[in-house]
Amino acid sequence: MFPGAIARLSATLRQLLLLVLCLLPALSGHAAAVDPVDQRITLALATEPPTLNSSIATDSIGSFVLSHLMEGLLRYGPGGELEGGVAERWQLEESGARFWLRSDARWSDGKPVTAHDFVFAWRHALKPATASQYAFIFFPIKNAEAIQAGQLPANTLGVRAVSERELVVEFARPCPYFLSLTAFMTFMPLREDAVEKWGRAYAADADKMLVNGAFTLNKWVHGAHLRLRKNRHYWDRDSVKIREIDLPYITSDPSAQFNLFRDGQIALANLDTGLLDEAVKRGHPIHHFHTGALYFLEFNFREGRVTGNYYFRKALQYIIDPATLVNKIIGLPGVLPAYSLFPMTVRGVAAPFREEYPEMRVKADIALARRYLARAKKELGLEAFPPLMLLVGDSPRALQEAEYYQYVLQQGLGLEVRIDQQVFKQRLEKMRRGDFDIVAAAWGPDYDDIMTFADLFASWNDNNRGRYHNPAYDYWVSLAQQSSDPVERFEAMARLQNIVTEDVPILPTYENGALYVQHPMLKGVRRNVFGGDPSFRFAWIER
Amino acid sequence: MTIPVFRFAPWQPAEQQLDHIAPAPLPSPFTPSVVLASVAVLLLLCFVSVGPLLWPQSHSTQWLSQVSLGPTTARAAKVVRDEGLWRPHGDVRSLRVADANTERVRLHWPALPEVKRYQLYRGSGLDAGLGLPLAISSTPYYEDRLQLRRALYRYSIADADTGLLLFSVEVRPQQAISEFEARLQGLIVGHKTTLPSTIMLPAHPLGTDALGRDILARLMAGGATSLFVGVVAPLLFISLGCILGAIAGYAGGVVDQAIMRLADFVVALPFLLFMILFRVAFGIGPGENGIAPLILAMLVLSWPSSARLVRGQVLALKGQPYVESALLSGLSTAAILARHILPNVLPIILVAFSFAIPQAIFTEAFLSFIGMGVSPPSTSWGAMCNDGIKTLLSHPRHMLLPALFISISVLAFNILGDALRDISDRRSGGVGR
Repeated sequence: MFPGAIARLSATLRQLLLLVLCLLPALSGHAAAVDPVDQRITLALATEPPTLNSSIATDSIGSFVLSHLMEGLLRYGPGGELEGGVAERWQLEESGARFWLRSDARWSDGKPVTAHDFVFAWRHALKPATASQYAFIFFPIKNAEAIQAGQLPANTLGVRAVSERELVVEFARPCPYFLSLTAFMTFMPLREDAVEKWGRAYAADADKMLVNGAFTLNKWVHGAHLRLRKNRHYWDRDSVKIREIDLPYITSDPSAQFNLFRDGQIALANLDTGLLDEAVKRGHPIHHFHTGALYFLEFNFREGRVTGNYYFRKALQYIIDPATLVNKIIGLPGVLPAYSLFPMTVRGVAAPFREEYPEMRVKADIALARRYLARAKKELGLEAFPPLMLLVGDSPRALQEAEYYQYVLQQGLGLEVRIDQQVFKQRLEKMRRGDFDIVAAAWGPDYDDIMTFADLFASWNDNNRGRYHNPAYDYWVSLAQQSSDPVERFEAMARLQNIVTEDVPILPTYENGALYVQHPMLKGVRRNVFGGDPSFRFAWIER
Repeated sequence: MTIPVFRFAPWQPAEQQLDHIAPAPLPSPFTPSVVLASVAVLLLLCFVSVGPLLWPQSHSTQWLSQVSLGPTTARAAKVVRDEGLWRPHGDVRSLRVADANTERVRLHWPALPEVKRYQLYRGSGLDAGLGLPLAISSTPYYEDRLQLRRALYRYSIADADTGLLLFSVEVRPQQAISEFEARLQGLIVGHKTTLPSTIMLPAHPLGTDALGRDILARLMAGGATSLFVGVVAPLLFISLGCILGAIAGYAGGVVDQAIMRLADFVVALPFLLFMILFRVAFGIGPGENGIAPLILAMLVLSWPSSARLVRGQVLALKGQPYVESALLSGLSTAAILARHILPNVLPIILVAFSFAIPQAIFTEAFLSFIGMGVSPPSTSWGAMCNDGIKTLLSHPRHMLLPALFISISVLAFNILGDALRDISDRRSGGVGR
């Protein structure tokens, strides 16, 4: 509570200051949004990345920065397709995979990237001592689950450096999506000597990390400023046009970001409801992009929480109408109401999954919701419901949504909701501790397979913050994980989709779409569903 | 030349000399600004106390169908049922508007074989340009439900791949409300299968905010919080300051030293930090109202200034001959305090009080603005400013209205305080303006 309050206070003050600064046009000019001579761009970050250690980072900001700093075995190319990163050739089979590394891949201190660096990184991330929340992503690899549980030593992991430049991976179960996993941040290499030298402080500062990607971290003033410079040791440096990415503003306030864009201080700004009309009026071309992220309300299933009750969750499901939220409160074209665990962008057998397996929609019905609530009350044996703790982020939109839920639950069901607004780091911490009844959470896909959403609420997943435990859910996830037959896998996923609608472990609210304005001289920016968004890896500034 | 002999002048009464230096009649304290300020304060008090009776809308009701509106009058709204996904059948010869109300605008246009994806734009019918890119549709129909208002819209449909403009139509949606919302607001009671065709929506004289809440009702509710804190907190901390200051001044010696050093210590404490500490100490979890710790923090941290003021005055009064004579004649301490000290200290206290009110209002506004004060759904002027800053560019009204109320109340109380000080200065022998 204490650090949270201070952090929120300082964040608000900073936003205010930033807003005041942007309203002073005289101050513009010292830093331009794009600099075609130096090929330099200036951007704003929504929040500071909690960490840049690739083995423990979990958030989208960290993923954005890391995708520019680091490169895995494979990477996403200019068209969003998978292509060779550190690996120049690979071979994927049902029992395992084999990668041949390129000889010119280098760390930022000039030493070559070897197969040992990958072996070390993956073992490191899996060690219980590292406490990586993404450890589960390695579970397709042999022995990974046992290592994470502390039953086997890390060196029994099914990954081996045959030579400096050849890596062999053994699978515990078929993993048709393994190639796209290797482009994910937790699979990035780490240098053993560097991690050991700095220990827990690794990647806590700009000078305490080694990178192997297109850019290096040149400056990191905590809470204020990051700067990325082109990495001169990067093997594919000739294809990197941008020489410097400056991130001198950290604000999650979209109007502050838009003001910065309008004053020519930053090259890209996301738009929020209140800014759309202004942007249209000013004639900025508006770009749209489906981020592939799912926003949802997650319920706490720990002992002593009313949200563990089935009828209680059902009542909430029948009163919180995603379409009303999206159309009335959020009001951004491109944001879609969500009714399923799987967003529209998820691929199915041959077409988008949602076209092959349409979801059930629950139509809002206040009378039914009240009946469910009365039933929950009876079952729980309560006189009255205790106030619900709704944990939300600190962005203006998050608060607005929270006030909407608060109103609907109060007005429709007579439930008292207390809004617990926390900065990102603090919110993650409270989610981890289970200090909430309902949390407004979001999940962006990590790799290009439906499993990135599906195993989220399996009982063994650390990101299952509500500790939802449903044997049927776990069964269908394991079934899909053990199968390499696409039809069988997606059938299992369709079952999961039904469980989510029927048992309501989460309440999907919307699929995020981003509307943004971009500097007309800045070209080739990729908006990625996977692997860090946006990507300036292939961008350039047109003179 | 004779040397004038010095001699005593006859005594003359002093009145004659005083006559021509007698002060001109003092200007009346009731200058126009003071009168205006009094009227403003009275109006504000009426606004927050009587206002909610005259304007019985809840400050927390979210009119989802009327988000971010300007001033509106009461109007009838058509009740619209949620019919799920809309899939029209058959073909149309030209762009057809199947339905046009503020819940949904349904467009159906002829399918063109050479176009794979259609790009829809929605712009204001009064402005040039395509406007907002709404969606990309692969079907020749689209249902728009996105924050529709009762305004003239122009929909344009283009080929998403070539950008070629295909159709365009102007639509003015009719006011509507969804069945869900009407039931939520309690406008339809019971489980009737037949819905009323129209429902009256209330007027919003100052418009609605980004969540569809009536701004007038919010200004009243917010003002009640702001003025409550503005009056109660100074009342408490000035009383405490007076008592401690009077004890220190009258008792003197060790007691005086102790109390004044305590005051020095309290002055050195940072207000914001203590505000946060009090919240923690009170066990005020996130999402609970922070008004009590706010008032307590002000009580504990703001008393020294008035204590010092009162102590100084009491010390000065204690040395006055009439107090000494009262002491000599054996009056009790209580009688002296009541008869001689209190009446002379009272004007100072009043002045301090009237200056503390705007300060307290402002402190509350500041704390609510940074999210340390009231928590939703209750509100205050400061919290309203915080809400409004998000939509400052598109709807400046959301921020400017509460800011205006804060400014007016702070200014009015300051002017009143000034006038009170002038009056008390004059009474204690100082010169008026």
